[in-house]
Amino acid sequence: MSLWKETLRRLAYLGRRSRFDADLDTEVEFHIETRADELARAGMPRPTALAQARREFGSPARMAEETRSAWQFRWLEDLAADLHYAARAFRRNPAFAATAIACLALGIGANTTIFSIAAEVLFSQPSVRDPYSLVRVDIGGNSASPVREYEFLRDAHTFPGLAGENEEMETNWRDSDNTYRLSVVRVTDNFFDVTGIPVALGRPIQPGDSDRVVLTYGFWQRRLGGAPDVIGRKLLLDGRIDTVSAVLPRDHRTVTGFGFSPDLYAPVTDPKTYVTLYARLEPGTTRLAALSRLKPACQELDRAYPDGNHKWANNLHVSAVSGIERIDTEHELMRPVAGFFAVLMVVVGLVLLIACANVASLLLARASSRSHELAVRLSIGAGRGRIVRQLLAESLLLSACGTGAGLAINIGLTTLLSRIQLPLPIPIQFLIQPDWRLLAYAAAVALVCSLAASLAPAVKGTGVGISAMLKHGEHQLGRHVWTLRNVLVVGQLAASIVLLCAGFLFLRNLVNASAMSPGFDIEHTVWAYMRLVPESYRDPAKTRGLVDAAVERLRSLPGVETAAIARVVPLNNNMRRGTEVSTDLNSRGLHVEFHINYVGPGYFQAMQIPIVTGREFLPADRKGAPRVAILNQNLARRVFGAVDPARHFVRFGQGETILVAGVAKNSKYFSLGEENALAYYEPYDQSPGPVADLHFLVRATGRPEPLIPGINTSLGQLDPTASLEIKPMSKALVFAMLPSRVGAAILGSMGMLGLLLASVGLYGVLLYSVSRRIREIGLRVALGATPAGILRLVLRQSAVLSAAGIGIGMALAVFAVRPLARFLSPEVRPADLMNFVVVGAVLAAVALAATLSPAVRALRVDPVEALRHE
Amino acid sequence: MGERTIPELLPGTLYMLILRTLSGGPLHGYAIAKRVKETSHQGLVIEDGSLYPALNRMLVKGWLEAEWGISENHRKARFYRLTPEGRKQLDHEAEEFDRLVRAIQLVMRTA
Repeated sequence: MSLWKETLRRLAYLGRRSRFDADLDTEVEFHIETRADELARAGMPRPTALAQARREFGSPARMAEETRSAWQFRWLEDLAADLHYAARAFRRNPAFAATAIACLALGIGANTTIFSIAAEVLFSQPSVRDPYSLVRVDIGGNSASPVREYEFLRDAHTFPGLAGENEEMETNWRDSDNTYRLSVVRVTDNFFDVTGIPVALGRPIQPGDSDRVVLTYGFWQRRLGGAPDVIGRKLLLDGRIDTVSAVLPRDHRTVTGFGFSPDLYAPVTDPKTYVTLYARLEPGTTRLAALSRLKPACQELDRAYPDGNHKWANNLHVSAVSGIERIDTEHELMRPVAGFFAVLMVVVGLVLLIACANVASLLLARASSRSHELAVRLSIGAGRGRIVRQLLAESLLLSACGTGAGLAINIGLTTLLSRIQLPLPIPIQFLIQPDWRLLAYAAAVALVCSLAASLAPAVKGTGVGISAMLKHGEHQLGRHVWTLRNVLVVGQLAASIVLLCAGFLFLRNLVNASAMSPGFDIEHTVWAYMRLVPESYRDPAKTRGLVDAAVERLRSLPGVETAAIARVVPLNNNMRRGTEVSTDLNSRGLHVEFHINYVGPGYFQAMQIPIVTGREFLPADRKGAPRVAILNQNLARRVFGAVDPARHFVRFGQGETILVAGVAKNSKYFSLGEENALAYYEPYDQSPGPVADLHFLVRATGRPEPLIPGINTSLGQLDPTASLEIKPMSKALVFAMLPSRVGAAILGSMGMLGLLLASVGLYGVLLYSVSRRIREIGLRVALGATPAGILRLVLRQSAVLSAAGIGIGMALAVFAVRPLARFLSPEVRPADLMNFVVVGAVLAAVALAATLSPAVRALRVDPVEALRHE
Repeated sequence: MGERTIPELLPGTLYMLILRTLSGGPLHGYAIAKRVKETSHQGLVIEDGSLYPALNRMLVKGWLEAEWGISENHRKARFYRLTPEGRKQLDHEAEEFDRLVRAIQLVMRTA
C-alpha cells in the first residue's frame, strides 16, 4: 500500500521535474543566504560571509544529483542501461537480430490480426450514446413487433425511451434511368433521439419526420461521390421523394453489429412494418428490473390488442447491445462464430509459440557462443540475477521490435480486410481499426514473448558451473543429442504438425464443399432477383399478373429451357417453420421443424430436383384451388414412415387439410454442411400475402451467362421502377461456400506460417550444430571419413529431430483436431488416417529441405583449414 | 570549524534526528540543521550536502510534507512538516534506537 503511494509520488515527480530543479535551487540559495546572514551578524563582512557559507555548503551540483536520485526509479535506469547495451550488441550482429525480429513479427502479426478481427466481430460497440443503458427488448418471443404494438408500449412510458428499427428492409432507388436496390434500416422517428447515434453532417431524423433519410458514409462516398452539398438533396426511393437530412460518420457501427453496413436510415412509412425494439434505461437500472417493468406493460398490451392465443407478455427478453453479455444473449448465430474464433486464437497462439521458440533458440545459440563472456562476468562477481536481467532486456528489446513490426503487419492486413466487400446477401463491411484493446493485447503479447524466449537462455546461460565453462570453452557444447535447442526444435515441429493437421482438414473441407452437390443444378441456372416497389403492389392480383407475365416472357427467351418463381433461393435465403403435423393416417400430432418454400410450376424442373413420386406443382394449383404440398424425402419418411405419401393429407395444428401432391428428392436448403434436413413446398400462388421480392430461376439449355442481358431487358420492360440483380447460380453459391473458404484460407495460411517458422528453426539448429562441429568434422575427414559418412552425420541429427517432432505432433494432433469436427462437413473426418499421412509427409519433405544447406556446409569442410582454425 | 569534534552519525539515525526535530513543528532545512547542532551542543552536525537528499527521501516515503512559506528573515523558504506516518515512524525508530543503545550499554558494562 505504502509502496503504491510511494510510486505515485515518484510518478508525480516525473511530471514536474523542471519545477523541482528550480525549487531546489531556491532552497539551496535560501540556505546559503541565511547562513551568510548569521555569519554577518557575528561581524563578518557580507561578501566574505557569503563565500564562507558557500564553502561550507559544498558542491550544490552533487547534492542536487543525489536529491534527484531520491525521486527516481532505480530499476528503470538499470533497464535503460541494459536495453542500451542490448541494442549495441544487436547492431554488431544484425543478421541475428533481423531473423529474431522477423520471426516474432510474423507470429505477433498473425496473432494480433486475429485478435483485432475477433474483437471487432464479437465485442464491437454500436455507435450509440452510453451503450450500457441501451437494451434490446423482445416481446412475445418475437424478435420484432408490429408498429401498432410498439406505439402502445412507447406511449405507456415504461422506459425513458423506446424506439424501433427494422434492418432487413430494402428500397429501390431510381437514379436517372437506373434502379438500384438499397439496404435500408427503417427506424421509428424517435430512433436517433433514443439511441443518440451521432451524425457527421446535417441533423438526424427527428420525431415527426417522415420523408427525411440519413445516409451512411459508405453510400455517400460510393454512390454520391462524397458530394459536399448532399444535405437537402432529393432521392427517389420506392417512388417517393425523400430528402437527405444527415450523413453518418465513417466509423458508424449499427446496433445490429457484425459489420452490418446498410446504405441509409429512413423513417418507417408502412404501418405494417415490424420493428425490433430498443429501450433506453435510466442509469443504474438492471436488465432484470427492466424486465419486471415490461411484464405489466405487455399484459396491458394484450388487453388492448388481443391476438388469439399469442400473448405479448410471454417470453419477454431484455438483452444487452454490446460487450460480452451480447454473446451470451444473442441468437444461435453467435455461438459457432465465437467458437471458431476460440479455435483461431489457439491456432495463432501456437504460431506465436513456434516463433518464440525460434527466438529462444537463437538466443540460446548466442548465449552459448557468449558462454565464455558470461563465465568471466560471473567469476568477477556479477550477480546471476544481474546477468539474467541483461538477457531479459535483450529479449524484451527483440519482442518490442517484433511487436512493432507485427503491429505494422496487423494494420496492413486489417486495413485490407476493411476494404473487402464480402459476397453476401446482406451488406457486411468490417471496420477494423487499431485501438487501446489492440495496444494492451500487443503489450501483453510482447511481455509474454520476451519471457518465453529468454527463460531457457537465462537458465542455461547462467546455470552451468563457471569453471566448466571457462575450462572447456565451447568445444564440448552441442555434443549431447537432447540439448535445450534440440528440445525446442522438436516442440516447434510438433506444434506445426498440429497446425498443419488443422489447416489440412479445412483445406479438405473446402475441396469437399466445392465438390459437394447441393442437390440441384447450378451449372445451367440463372437467378434473377427482381424487387418491386411494395407501395405499387398492394393488390395481390397485380403481383400475380406480373409474375405470370414475367415467367411467360422468360420461358419464351431463346436458349431458355424453363423458368419458375420461388419465394426462397436455397443456400441464400431461409424460411423455417416448427409446428405440429398430423396426417390422415395418423391423427396424433408430431412436432417437426422444416425449411419451407413457395415455388411456382416448373421450379423442380428448373432446379433439376427430381420428383420421386407423385407430381410437380401445376398451373392449376392456384389460389382458391384445393391446397397441395410437396415434401422432401426426409420429411415424407419422418411423417409417413414407409408409406408413399402421395395423395394422402397433412394438417398443421388445427389448420385445413393439405393434399400431398408428391415427394421431391432431398437437397441442400440453408447450408452445404446440413444433413437430413426436412423441407416442405407449397405452390407460390397459394402463399400468403403479396411480397415485393421476386426470385426467378431460369434454366438455360447451354451456358447461363449469355442469357443475362436478355433476362435483364425483358424483366426491366415489365416494370422500370423495379430493381434487378441477375447472376448465374454458381456465383450465388459463393455465400454458401464462404465459411469453408474463410476457414481454409485462415487455417491453411496459419499452418503454412507455422511450418515456415519451424523449418527456419530446424535449419538454424542444424547449421549451428555443423558450425560447432567443424573441428570434429575436419578431424574425421582427416582420419578418412567419406563424404557419405559426413552426410550421414548431419542427416542423422535432422532425422532424429524430425522423427521425434512428427511423432509427438501426431500424438497431440489426434486429440487436438477432434473439436474441429463441428466446423467441418460430415464427410471430412478429423480422425482420417489420410490427414496424418499427408501432413507427416509434408513435414518430412520440408525438414529434408532445411537439412540441405547445413549438409552442404558440412561436406565443404576442409580438414586442413578446420584444424588450423583452432 | 577547524576541529573535528563531530562524531560520525550512526547509519540510519539521520532520519530519526530530523523526525524528532520536526516533531515540535514545521521548520525549513537550515533551521533543522541548526536545531540539531544546538540541541546536541555542537555534538552532532548534519552535513549540508546530505541534509536535502535525506529530506527528499523522506518526502518520497511520505513521512514529511513540504510547503513554501516566509522565513523569519523574510525570505521565501520551504518548510517541512511531519505527517501522521512520519510520527509513527519516529516512534518506531526511537524505540528501536533505545533498544540498541541499552543492548550496547549492557555489553559495555558487563563484558
